[in-house]
Amino acid sequence: MEIIEEKQDTISVFRLNGRLDSSTSQGFEERVFGAILDGSKNMVIDFKDIDYISSAGLRVILKATKALHREKGQIMLCSMQDYVKEVFEIAGFDTFLPIVGSMDEALKSF
Amino acid sequence: MVKKFYSFELKNDLSELERLCLNCEEIGRSIGVSDKSIFEMNLALDELFTNIISYGFNDSQEHIIKISITIEGDQLQMRIEDDGVPFNPSESKTPDFQCDIEKCKIGGLGIHLINKMMDEVQYQRVADKNILILRRKLRRED
Repeated sequence: MEIIEEKQDTISVFRLNGRLDSSTSQGFEERVFGAILDGSKNMVIDFKDIDYISSAGLRVILKATKALHREKGQIMLCSMQDYVKEVFEIAGFDTFLPIVGSMDEALKSF
Repeated sequence: MVKKFYSFELKNDLSELERLCLNCEEIGRSIGVSDKSIFEMNLALDELFTNIISYGFNDSQEHIIKISITIEGDQLQMRIEDDGVPFNPSESKTPDFQCDIEKCKIGGLGIHLINKMMDEVQYQRVADKNILILRRKLRRED
């Protein structure tokens, strides 16, 4: 999985490409928590080019969400493909994670 | 009724997830199911495979995990066999995610996904092997 990280004002944006599973989730977790340690409080994860996610990927998102909440920050997830969104729904994660349709919507919510 | 049978083996290494994905795609196309069903087959087998190699082995030896997929009429059956410590995932409790974010537990999530996607999950311990059988009735949209 490819991870592109960029800053838009004070927001850390992660654009992911590929599969977020137990073989790639650890690398992703390190990048996300690296950004949090560097002081990032607001984060957008772009799922546009993610075509697969397993529970290992969901766990990283959940851990990041909890960490950002403690910092009084916020996470936004955007541009999910249908099957990927369905995994969030089956897990019940869509009830407490903000999932929006586009990057624009995600950036505007801060 | 036409019966199709496919099988393959994976080593106990996370890098094998890539081969699992390729095999699911190839078998799914051969059976003629939708991309969504291929995704779900892959996800169910991934969750079990990841569980087995994370918790199943107390040594650092190479182990083989055997996977077979059978389709008979509208019945899809996936069988996964490993020689790890006894573990019956169908006994795991379903986690409660409809809760406050700070209290939300993350254990058992993979099993929860499998239970939601499959009609039946059956565990057997036979001759020092864990055998897990997942069944799902294919619907028209699958």
